[in-house]
Amino acid sequence: MRTTRLHLLHMFSGAVIAVLLGIHMVILHLDAVLGFFGIDATEPTSWGAMMERASQGIWVGIYIALLAFVLYHAFYGLRGIILELSPSVRTGRIITRVFIIVGIITLIWGAYVPIALLSS
Amino acid sequence: MTESSPKQVTFRVQRYDPEDGTSPHFEEFTIPSSRGTTVLDGLIYIKENLDSTLAFRTSCRMGICGSCGMLINNYPHLACHTQIEELHSDTLSIKPLPNQPIIKDLVVDLMPMFNVHKSIKPYIIRQDTELENPTAEFGQLPQELNTFLQFAYCIKCGICVSACPTSASDRLFLGPQALAQCYRYCADNRDDGHQERFHVVDTDHGVWHCHLAGACSEACPKGLDPALAIQLLKRQLASQALGLRKKQPPSSVVPPPTEIKPKIPFPEFTVKGDK
Repeated sequence: MRTTRLHLLHMFSGAVIAVLLGIHMVILHLDAVLGFFGIDATEPTSWGAMMERASQGIWVGIYIALLAFVLYHAFYGLRGIILELSPSVRTGRIITRVFIIVGIITLIWGAYVPIALLSS
Repeated sequence: MTESSPKQVTFRVQRYDPEDGTSPHFEEFTIPSSRGTTVLDGLIYIKENLDSTLAFRTSCRMGICGSCGMLINNYPHLACHTQIEELHSDTLSIKPLPNQPIIKDLVVDLMPMFNVHKSIKPYIIRQDTELENPTAEFGQLPQELNTFLQFAYCIKCGICVSACPTSASDRLFLGPQALAQCYRYCADNRDDGHQERFHVVDTDHGVWHCHLAGACSEACPKGLDPALAIQLLKRQLASQALGLRKKQPPSSVVPPPTEIKPKIPFPEFTVKGDK
Protein backbone atom coordinates (compact mmCIF):
# COMPACT_ATOMS: atom_id res chain seq x y z
CA MET A 1 0.00 0.00 0.00
CA ARG A 2 3.05 2.28 -0.29
CA THR A 3 1.94 4.12 -3.45
CA THR A 4 -1.56 4.58 -2.06
CA ARG A 5 -0.24 6.11 1.16
CA LEU A 6 2.11 8.42 -0.78
CA HIS A 7 -0.73 9.47 -3.06
CA LEU A 8 -3.08 10.11 -0.14
CA LEU A 9 -0.34 12.22 1.46
CA HIS A 10 -0.04 14.10 -1.84
CA MET A 11 -3.76 14.91 -1.74
CA PHE A 12 -3.63 15.78 1.97
CA SER A 13 -0.63 18.07 1.41
CA GLY A 14 -2.61 19.90 -1.29
CA ALA A 15 -5.40 20.60 1.19
CA VAL A 16 -2.92 21.71 3.89
CA ILE A 17 -1.16 24.03 1.41
CA ALA A 18 -4.49 25.66 0.59
CA VAL A 19 -5.04 26.38 4.30
CA LEU A 20 -1.48 27.53 5.12
CA LEU A 21 -1.15 29.57 1.94
CA GLY A 22 -4.55 31.07 2.71
CA ILE A 23 -3.28 32.18 6.14
CA HIS A 24 -0.13 33.59 4.54
CA MET A 25 -2.07 35.50 1.87
CA VAL A 26 -4.65 36.91 4.26
CA ILE A 27 -2.13 38.08 6.86
CA LEU A 28 0.59 39.40 4.58
CA HIS A 29 -1.06 40.49 1.35
CA LEU A 30 -4.75 41.04 2.08
CA ASP A 31 -4.39 43.36 5.07
CA ALA A 32 -6.92 45.70 3.46
CA VAL A 33 -9.50 42.90 3.68
CA LEU A 34 -8.57 42.32 7.34
CA GLY A 35 -8.98 46.08 7.96
CA PHE A 36 -12.48 45.85 6.52
CA PHE A 37 -13.31 43.30 9.25
CA GLY A 38 -11.82 45.57 11.93
CA ILE A 39 -8.56 43.64 12.39
CA ASP A 40 -5.58 45.96 12.54
CA ALA A 41 -2.63 44.59 10.57
CA THR A 42 -0.60 47.69 9.86
CA GLU A 43 2.18 47.13 7.33
CA PRO A 44 2.46 43.34 7.72
CA THR A 45 5.33 43.19 5.22
CA SER A 46 7.50 45.68 7.12
CA TRP A 47 10.80 44.53 8.68
CA GLY A 48 9.53 45.05 12.22
CA ALA A 49 6.33 43.08 11.66
CA MET A 50 8.29 40.25 10.03
CA MET A 51 10.78 40.08 12.91
CA GLU A 52 7.91 40.06 15.37
CA ARG A 53 6.29 37.10 13.61
CA ALA A 54 9.66 35.33 13.43
CA SER A 55 9.92 35.48 17.21
CA GLN A 56 6.61 33.58 17.61
CA GLY A 57 6.74 29.78 17.55
CA ILE A 58 3.37 29.43 15.81
CA TRP A 59 4.57 31.42 12.79
CA VAL A 60 7.82 29.51 12.59
CA GLY A 61 5.78 26.29 12.65
CA ILE A 62 3.49 27.56 9.87
CA TYR A 63 6.44 28.59 7.68
CA ILE A 64 8.27 25.28 8.09
CA ALA A 65 5.08 23.21 7.62
CA LEU A 66 4.20 25.20 4.48
CA LEU A 67 7.69 24.65 3.10
CA ALA A 68 7.62 20.92 3.88
CA PHE A 69 4.18 20.33 2.37
CA VAL A 70 4.94 22.45 -0.72
CA LEU A 71 8.18 20.56 -1.31
CA TYR A 72 6.47 17.17 -0.96
CA HIS A 73 3.50 18.16 -3.12
CA ALA A 74 5.65 19.71 -5.85
CA PHE A 75 8.28 16.98 -6.04
CA TYR A 76 5.78 14.10 -5.86
CA GLY A 77 3.70 15.71 -8.62
CA LEU A 78 6.76 16.41 -10.77
CA ARG A 79 7.95 12.84 -10.23
CA GLY A 80 4.58 11.55 -11.48
CA ILE A 81 4.80 13.69 -14.63
CA ILE A 82 8.38 12.59 -15.37
CA LEU A 83 7.50 8.92 -14.74
CA GLU A 84 4.59 9.18 -17.15
CA LEU A 85 6.60 10.83 -19.90
CA SER A 86 9.65 8.57 -19.62
CA PRO A 87 8.33 5.37 -18.10
CA SER A 88 11.04 3.00 -16.91
CA VAL A 89 11.86 1.41 -13.59
CA ARG A 90 15.41 2.82 -13.69
CA THR A 91 14.21 6.39 -14.35
CA GLY A 92 11.72 6.02 -11.51
CA ARG A 93 14.44 4.94 -9.10
CA ILE A 94 16.82 7.76 -10.09
CA ILE A 95 14.14 10.45 -10.04
CA THR A 96 12.89 9.32 -6.62
CA ARG A 97 16.35 9.43 -5.05
CA VAL A 98 17.25 12.78 -6.60
CA PHE A 99 13.99 14.36 -5.44
CA ILE A 100 14.33 12.97 -1.91
CA ILE A 101 17.88 14.36 -1.59
CA VAL A 102 17.03 17.76 -3.15
CA GLY A 103 13.85 17.97 -1.05
CA ILE A 104 15.62 17.26 2.25
CA ILE A 105 18.44 19.72 1.47
CA THR A 106 15.92 22.43 0.49
CA LEU A 107 13.84 21.78 3.61
CA ILE A 108 16.86 22.05 5.94
CA TRP A 109 18.12 25.14 4.13
CA GLY A 110 14.68 26.81 4.17
CA ALA A 111 13.90 25.85 7.78
CA TYR A 112 17.28 27.15 9.03
CA VAL A 113 16.32 30.85 8.73
CA PRO A 114 13.09 30.84 10.84
CA ILE A 115 14.67 28.51 13.42
CA ALA A 116 17.75 30.75 13.66
CA LEU A 117 15.55 33.85 14.02
CA LEU A 118 13.44 32.16 16.68
CA SER A 119 16.45 31.11 18.75
CA SER A 120 18.24 34.48 18.41
CA MET B 1 -41.21 0.26 -49.49
CA THR B 2 -38.47 1.15 -51.97
CA GLU B 3 -34.81 0.48 -51.24
CA SER B 4 -32.66 3.63 -51.64
CA SER B 5 -29.84 3.27 -54.19
CA PRO B 6 -26.40 2.80 -52.61
CA LYS B 7 -24.14 5.84 -52.45
CA GLN B 8 -20.40 5.72 -52.93
CA VAL B 9 -18.21 6.19 -49.85
CA THR B 10 -14.44 6.53 -49.83
CA PHE B 11 -12.46 4.57 -47.25
CA ARG B 12 -9.00 6.01 -46.50
CA VAL B 13 -7.37 2.96 -44.94
CA GLN B 14 -3.99 3.02 -43.26
CA ARG B 15 -1.77 0.34 -44.74
CA TYR B 16 1.37 -0.90 -43.02
CA ASP B 17 3.33 -4.09 -43.28
CA PRO B 18 6.41 -4.17 -41.02
CA GLU B 19 7.92 -6.89 -43.21
CA ASP B 20 7.86 -4.55 -46.26
CA GLY B 21 9.93 -1.92 -44.54
CA THR B 22 7.65 0.87 -45.81
CA SER B 23 6.23 3.45 -43.46
CA PRO B 24 2.46 3.60 -42.76
CA HIS B 25 0.54 5.22 -45.62
CA PHE B 26 -3.07 5.63 -46.71
CA GLU B 27 -4.85 3.92 -49.60
CA GLU B 28 -8.28 4.95 -50.85
CA PHE B 29 -11.08 2.57 -51.77
CA THR B 30 -14.57 3.44 -52.96
CA ILE B 31 -17.32 1.18 -51.76
CA PRO B 32 -21.10 1.18 -52.18
CA SER B 33 -22.97 2.01 -48.98
CA SER B 34 -26.66 1.89 -48.23
CA ARG B 35 -28.73 2.12 -45.09
CA GLY B 36 -27.41 -0.34 -42.48
CA THR B 37 -23.99 -0.84 -44.08
CA THR B 38 -21.37 -1.02 -41.37
CA VAL B 39 -17.71 -0.09 -41.61
CA LEU B 40 -16.93 -3.79 -41.27
CA ASP B 41 -19.18 -4.53 -44.27
CA GLY B 42 -17.16 -1.96 -46.22
CA LEU B 43 -13.86 -3.56 -45.22
CA ILE B 44 -15.16 -7.01 -46.18
CA TYR B 45 -16.25 -5.57 -49.54
CA ILE B 46 -12.74 -4.21 -50.09
CA LYS B 47 -11.18 -7.54 -49.15
CA GLU B 48 -13.50 -9.53 -51.41
CA ASN B 49 -13.60 -7.19 -54.41
CA LEU B 50 -10.81 -4.62 -54.40
CA ASP B 51 -7.72 -5.70 -52.46
CA SER B 52 -7.44 -9.13 -50.90
CA THR B 53 -4.19 -8.19 -49.11
CA LEU B 54 -5.97 -5.83 -46.69
CA ALA B 55 -5.60 -7.20 -43.16
CA PHE B 56 -8.17 -6.66 -40.43
CA ARG B 57 -9.55 -8.75 -37.60
CA THR B 58 -13.20 -9.76 -37.39
CA SER B 59 -15.29 -12.58 -36.05
CA CYS B 60 -18.85 -12.27 -34.71
CA ARG B 61 -20.05 -9.16 -36.66
CA MET B 62 -22.43 -8.28 -33.81
CA GLY B 63 -20.37 -6.42 -31.19
CA ILE B 64 -19.76 -9.41 -28.96
CA CYS B 65 -16.28 -10.74 -29.72
CA GLY B 66 -14.39 -7.41 -29.63
CA SER B 67 -12.16 -8.32 -32.58
CA CYS B 68 -12.81 -5.43 -34.97
CA GLY B 69 -11.77 -2.44 -32.83
CA MET B 70 -10.22 0.28 -34.99
CA LEU B 71 -9.85 4.04 -35.26
CA ILE B 72 -12.69 5.27 -37.46
CA ASN B 73 -12.59 9.00 -38.24
CA ASN B 74 -10.02 9.33 -35.46
CA TYR B 75 -12.23 7.78 -32.80
CA PRO B 76 -12.00 4.19 -31.57
CA HIS B 77 -15.03 2.09 -32.52
CA LEU B 78 -15.98 -1.48 -33.23
CA ALA B 79 -16.23 -1.63 -37.04
CA CYS B 80 -19.19 -4.03 -36.88
CA HIS B 81 -21.04 -1.74 -34.48
CA THR B 82 -20.58 1.44 -36.54
CA GLN B 83 -22.87 2.17 -39.44
CA ILE B 84 -21.41 4.33 -42.19
CA GLU B 85 -24.58 6.42 -42.31
CA GLU B 86 -24.26 7.54 -38.69
CA LEU B 87 -20.80 9.04 -39.33
CA HIS B 88 -22.33 11.65 -41.73
CA SER B 89 -19.30 11.67 -44.00
CA ASP B 90 -18.53 10.49 -47.52
CA THR B 91 -14.89 9.90 -46.66
CA LEU B 92 -13.90 7.72 -43.73
CA SER B 93 -10.44 7.52 -42.26
CA ILE B 94 -9.70 4.06 -40.92
CA LYS B 95 -6.60 3.38 -38.86
CA PRO B 96 -5.50 0.67 -36.42
CA LEU B 97 -6.13 1.20 -32.71
CA PRO B 98 -3.52 3.50 -31.17
CA ASN B 99 -1.43 2.60 -28.10
CA GLN B 100 -0.98 -0.95 -29.42
CA PRO B 101 1.79 -2.31 -31.65
CA ILE B 102 0.68 -2.85 -35.27
CA ILE B 103 1.00 -6.35 -36.73
CA LYS B 104 -0.28 -5.46 -40.20
CA ASP B 105 -2.66 -2.84 -41.64
CA LEU B 106 -5.58 -2.67 -39.15
CA VAL B 107 -4.49 -5.63 -37.02
CA VAL B 108 -2.89 -4.69 -33.71
CA ASP B 109 -1.12 -6.87 -31.20
CA LEU B 110 -3.41 -7.17 -28.17
CA MET B 111 -1.03 -9.47 -26.28
CA PRO B 112 0.42 -6.63 -24.13
CA MET B 113 -3.12 -5.79 -22.99
CA PHE B 114 -3.95 -9.46 -22.34
CA ASN B 115 -0.73 -9.90 -20.35
CA VAL B 116 -1.62 -6.94 -18.13
CA HIS B 117 -5.15 -8.33 -17.81
CA LYS B 118 -3.68 -11.67 -16.71
CA SER B 119 -1.43 -9.96 -14.16
CA ILE B 120 -4.39 -8.71 -12.11
CA LYS B 121 -5.59 -12.33 -11.65
CA PRO B 122 -9.01 -12.02 -13.30
CA TYR B 123 -10.62 -14.97 -11.58
CA ILE B 124 -12.15 -15.83 -8.21
CA ILE B 125 -9.48 -16.42 -5.58
CA ARG B 126 -10.35 -18.14 -2.31
CA GLN B 127 -8.41 -19.54 0.61
CA ASP B 128 -10.65 -22.57 1.05
CA THR B 129 -10.74 -25.59 -1.28
CA GLU B 130 -14.27 -25.00 -2.52
CA LEU B 131 -13.06 -24.11 -6.03
CA GLU B 132 -10.99 -27.29 -6.33
CA ASN B 133 -13.62 -29.58 -4.77
CA PRO B 134 -16.95 -27.82 -5.21
CA THR B 135 -19.81 -28.96 -2.98
CA ALA B 136 -22.44 -26.32 -3.73
CA GLU B 137 -22.93 -22.83 -5.17
CA PHE B 138 -21.60 -19.64 -3.58
CA GLY B 139 -24.25 -17.34 -2.16
CA GLN B 140 -24.72 -13.99 -3.91
CA LEU B 141 -27.60 -11.58 -3.53
CA PRO B 142 -28.84 -9.61 -6.57
CA GLN B 143 -27.64 -6.34 -4.98
CA GLU B 144 -24.19 -7.87 -4.46
CA LEU B 145 -24.14 -8.89 -8.11
CA ASN B 146 -25.11 -5.36 -9.15
CA THR B 147 -21.96 -3.89 -7.56
CA PHE B 148 -19.84 -5.30 -10.39
CA LEU B 149 -22.23 -6.68 -13.02
CA GLN B 150 -21.67 -4.00 -15.68
CA PHE B 151 -17.90 -4.55 -15.52
CA ALA B 152 -18.39 -8.27 -16.19
CA TYR B 153 -19.63 -7.35 -19.68
CA CYS B 154 -16.13 -6.30 -20.82
CA ILE B 155 -15.31 -7.92 -24.20
CA LYS B 156 -11.58 -7.06 -24.05
CA CYS B 157 -11.63 -5.22 -27.38
CA GLY B 158 -8.90 -2.80 -26.28
CA ILE B 159 -10.89 0.31 -27.27
CA CYS B 160 -10.68 1.81 -23.76
CA VAL B 161 -6.90 1.39 -23.73
CA SER B 162 -6.70 3.07 -27.15
CA ALA B 163 -8.84 5.98 -26.01
CA CYS B 164 -6.92 6.47 -22.74
CA PRO B 165 -4.56 9.49 -22.80
CA THR B 166 -2.48 8.05 -19.97
CA SER B 167 -1.93 4.80 -21.86
CA ALA B 168 -0.77 6.95 -24.79
CA SER B 169 1.96 8.64 -22.78
CA ASP B 170 2.86 5.92 -20.26
CA ARG B 171 3.50 2.53 -21.84
CA LEU B 172 3.82 0.92 -18.39
CA PHE B 173 0.37 2.14 -17.26
CA LEU B 174 -1.87 -0.84 -16.52
CA GLY B 175 -4.72 0.70 -18.51
CA PRO B 176 -8.46 1.06 -17.91
CA GLN B 177 -9.33 -2.47 -19.04
CA ALA B 178 -7.17 -4.25 -16.45
CA LEU B 179 -7.98 -1.78 -13.67
CA ALA B 180 -11.73 -2.08 -14.26
CA GLN B 181 -11.42 -5.86 -14.23
CA CYS B 182 -9.41 -5.64 -11.03
CA TYR B 183 -12.32 -3.80 -9.42
CA ARG B 184 -14.79 -6.29 -10.92
CA TYR B 185 -13.12 -9.17 -9.05
CA CYS B 186 -12.33 -7.22 -5.87
CA ALA B 187 -15.99 -6.20 -5.62
CA ASP B 188 -17.20 -9.77 -6.05
CA ASN B 189 -18.38 -11.05 -2.66
CA ARG B 190 -17.31 -14.61 -3.59
CA ASP B 191 -13.69 -13.47 -3.96
CA ASP B 192 -10.98 -13.25 -1.34
CA GLY B 193 -8.03 -12.20 -3.51
CA HIS B 194 -8.05 -8.42 -3.18
CA GLN B 195 -4.69 -8.38 -1.37
CA GLU B 196 -3.01 -10.16 -4.27
CA ARG B 197 -4.55 -7.74 -6.77
CA PHE B 198 -3.88 -4.62 -4.69
CA HIS B 199 -0.22 -5.60 -4.78
CA VAL B 200 -0.32 -5.36 -8.61
CA VAL B 201 -2.28 -2.11 -8.98
CA ASP B 202 -0.69 -0.21 -6.09
CA THR B 203 2.38 0.81 -8.10
CA ASP B 204 3.78 3.93 -9.78
CA HIS B 205 2.10 2.97 -13.07
CA GLY B 206 -1.02 1.53 -11.46
CA VAL B 207 -4.38 2.82 -10.38
CA TRP B 208 -3.20 6.20 -9.03
CA HIS B 209 -1.80 7.14 -12.43
CA CYS B 210 -5.32 7.41 -13.87
CA HIS B 211 -6.05 11.09 -14.59
CA LEU B 212 -9.80 10.54 -14.72
CA ALA B 213 -10.06 11.83 -18.29
CA GLY B 214 -13.09 9.55 -18.75
CA ALA B 215 -12.19 8.78 -22.38
CA CYS B 216 -12.40 5.03 -21.67
CA SER B 217 -16.02 5.28 -20.51
CA GLU B 218 -16.97 7.47 -23.46
CA ALA B 219 -15.44 5.10 -26.00
CA CYS B 220 -16.50 1.72 -24.56
CA PRO B 221 -18.73 0.07 -27.19
CA LYS B 222 -20.51 -2.01 -24.52
CA GLY B 223 -21.49 1.06 -22.50
CA LEU B 224 -19.37 0.16 -19.47
CA ASP B 225 -17.89 2.81 -17.22
CA PRO B 226 -14.25 1.78 -16.59
CA ALA B 227 -13.49 5.25 -15.17
CA LEU B 228 -16.06 4.61 -12.44
CA ALA B 229 -14.51 1.21 -11.69
CA ILE B 230 -11.09 2.84 -11.35
CA GLN B 231 -12.44 5.43 -8.92
CA LEU B 232 -14.14 2.70 -6.87
CA LEU B 233 -10.90 0.73 -6.88
CA LYS B 234 -9.07 3.84 -5.61
CA ARG B 235 -11.63 4.04 -2.82
CA GLN B 236 -11.00 0.41 -1.87
CA LEU B 237 -7.23 1.01 -1.83
CA ALA B 238 -7.55 4.22 0.21
CA SER B 239 -9.84 2.50 2.72
CA GLN B 240 -7.36 -0.35 3.02
CA ALA B 241 -4.39 2.03 3.48
CA LEU B 242 -6.23 4.04 6.15
CA GLY B 243 -7.44 0.90 7.92
CA LEU B 244 -11.10 1.75 7.26
CA ARG B 245 -11.86 -1.28 5.13
CA LYS B 246 -14.29 -3.66 6.77
CA LYS B 247 -13.01 -7.21 6.83
CA GLN B 248 -15.69 -9.35 5.29
CA PRO B 249 -15.19 -13.04 4.72
CA PRO B 250 -16.03 -14.24 1.20
CA SER B 251 -19.49 -15.65 0.77
CA SER B 252 -19.94 -19.23 1.87
CA VAL B 253 -21.58 -21.98 -0.10
CA VAL B 254 -25.32 -22.21 -0.08
CA PRO B 255 -26.88 -25.65 0.26
CA PRO B 256 -29.06 -26.60 -2.69
CA PRO B 257 -32.77 -25.90 -2.17
CA THR B 258 -34.65 -28.75 -0.57
CA GLU B 259 -37.96 -27.79 -2.07
CA ILE B 260 -38.18 -27.32 -5.80
CA LYS B 261 -41.14 -25.40 -7.09
CA PRO B 262 -42.97 -27.20 -9.87
CA LYS B 263 -42.53 -25.65 -13.30
CA ILE B 264 -45.42 -23.70 -14.74
CA PRO B 265 -47.10 -26.02 -17.22
CA PHE B 266 -47.13 -25.14 -20.92
CA PRO B 267 -50.39 -23.57 -22.01
CA GLU B 268 -52.69 -25.52 -24.26
CA PHE B 269 -51.88 -25.10 -27.94
CA THR B 270 -54.40 -22.72 -29.45
CA VAL B 271 -53.74 -23.91 -32.99
CA LYS B 272 -54.54 -27.55 -33.25
CA GLY B 273 -52.70 -29.59 -35.81
CA ASP B 274 -54.62 -31.73 -38.32
CA LYS B 275 -55.38 -35.14 -36.95
